[in-house]
Amino acid sequence: MAGAYLRGTGLACALGLEAESCVSALLQGRVKPSRVRLEKLSEPAELAYYRIPDGAELFDPQRFERLLPAVLRAAVDEAGLTEAERRVLPLFIGSSCFSIGFSERAYAAALAAGTGAALPMPEVGYDYLAGLTRRILGSNGPHWTWNTACTSSANALLGALRALQLGWCRHALVLGAELANLTTLAGFTGLQLLADAVRPFDARRSGMVLGEGLAVVVLSLEPGSAGGMKLLGGANNCDSHSVTVTHPDGQTVSAVLTQALATAGVPPGEVRGLRAHGTSSPGGDTAEAMGLKRVFDPLPPVTVLKPYLGHTLGACGVNELVLFAGALKRGQLPVTPGFEQRDAALALEPITRPAPAPAGVYLLNHFGFGGNNTVLALEKAP
Amino acid sequence: MIRVTALGHYFAPLEDDALLPPLQAALKEAGRGQYRRIDRFVELALLGAGRCAAGRKLAPDCGLYLGSGLGPMGDNVRVQQQLVLERFVPMPFNFINILGSNAGFYVAKDLGLSGQNYFVSRRGASFEAALELAVMDLELGVVRQALVGVVEDVSLPLAEHRLRQGLAPGTRLAEGSHWLLLETSAEEGCKLEYTRHPDAVSLQLALSTFPEVERRGAPTGPFHDSLTGAWVTERLRAGAPQGLIVTAGTGLFHFRP
Repeated sequence: MAGAYLRGTGLACALGLEAESCVSALLQGRVKPSRVRLEKLSEPAELAYYRIPDGAELFDPQRFERLLPAVLRAAVDEAGLTEAERRVLPLFIGSSCFSIGFSERAYAAALAAGTGAALPMPEVGYDYLAGLTRRILGSNGPHWTWNTACTSSANALLGALRALQLGWCRHALVLGAELANLTTLAGFTGLQLLADAVRPFDARRSGMVLGEGLAVVVLSLEPGSAGGMKLLGGANNCDSHSVTVTHPDGQTVSAVLTQALATAGVPPGEVRGLRAHGTSSPGGDTAEAMGLKRVFDPLPPVTVLKPYLGHTLGACGVNELVLFAGALKRGQLPVTPGFEQRDAALALEPITRPAPAPAGVYLLNHFGFGGNNTVLALEKAP
Repeated sequence: MIRVTALGHYFAPLEDDALLPPLQAALKEAGRGQYRRIDRFVELALLGAGRCAAGRKLAPDCGLYLGSGLGPMGDNVRVQQQLVLERFVPMPFNFINILGSNAGFYVAKDLGLSGQNYFVSRRGASFEAALELAVMDLELGVVRQALVGVVEDVSLPLAEHRLRQGLAPGTRLAEGSHWLLLETSAEEGCKLEYTRHPDAVSLQLALSTFPEVERRGAPTGPFHDSLTGAWVTERLRAGAPQGLIVTAGTGLFHFRP
């Protein structure tokens, strides 16, 4: 089946407020996590966090309203869509935070007011991002919103690709969104899955570092002026081993990789490179490495982007696709900061020196809570 | 050709002064597994999907498409109380239970599924959104069998749940879990056809060719995301001799006996 062109992109993440400058910062090796203190907890916690450098108060949910317009417009303008095309543009959205920050803030304010009428979760549902996107773009197309943890926006990309392949639309907008909120940061603190540094596949890896990001891709059946990069295929499956940990033997990881390769029509030996999920968690990286070794011999060059922008959870699919595709367009596979000490049990060494990115097929892995696994296949044109 | 080969259904109107009806006996009767620390939303999903799959061995690569407008409200409320009111880090199992992919995980585990697994939302039309994605994958051959459902739970007290949704005091509330099994290789079962139309005029023209068919457009009501799922499963269970039409945006589902 035909793929879909990445016709326009937009991005704001810890690397910057615009896609091209983020890719430049990535290739320069900029890694800038900051520290966040959760003051409002009875026992305040502190954690490393990759925040978007917008200078605003971190937990202000209105940041969506301030940051998303530029990201959306950058993608739609680059795609060169007409007004008529914008109006009917279908929206495919993946997030794990949605409007939870608004609920936290409203509930806290009501409690502080002391009227006895404070309502937890005053904002319900998952439609906030679709409504905001529609309002900014003036679009009235259908929308689908995925909440499948860390695979949310990767699944949104897959859904958009399939809608295009079936001819349901000629263009599709895919949004991945994650902004800081207390629920996510405190929730992961409670799960004890966080570390102070991202060390993907390293022997000393001890957990993930969270981050935030907003990213948009306009997928199209026609290449437009941006041209060059195509989402070829992908696959999703469910690993029911554990709700929080992928099966350590890598079986379900290899299954979803194999399915994704089949949709792209490419044998493992022709894959030019792979952007691993690489959360830097002991169990997650083990399962991913085991799965990769079941499919590839030898492994293609592997890199991890989370040391640059943190784990942006449900948004990582689109965030990291924009960064990865941007680097490939510049002919380069980015290095993996944080990897220093080989883990003999994994025998997987992500690249630590810049490598060329020739034309061909590249894979992007995503694994989430709920056993949700998604692999995307991206093609760089000759 | 896509056919509806099984239906699963749970619907419970709720009384204001009553506790939520326990689901354990119904889950046991449906032959579902017992899981620790799952929430109400997962139980509802297990029950509806379990009734749909009753007596069948689903293909391991059967796709699962779960829609919900509000998602797991009970644990979302509990997590926010722990965090904002009590100022504690959320309990891990409460935090995990607020993930959209949690219910799909347990349904997959319970039914032995390892294929595609989506949780999707579109307020007011989450069943339709899930159905569209399932049809898309069936038509492309990504899956040959798809379990499609919608689940809505409530959180107590009901007065707060109404307030949260902007509903008038006393509005009747209910929980629901409604599921269809769709297959492309089945010989029997109601046929399901889906067509997309470029605009509302084209859709109206298409609708005018089905004068005898029962129709449902955008549903309204206090538990509206599950209403279409409830309507479709109830009407199909009753036979729906003239067929059913469901519209979602400019898309048209035609359930044809």
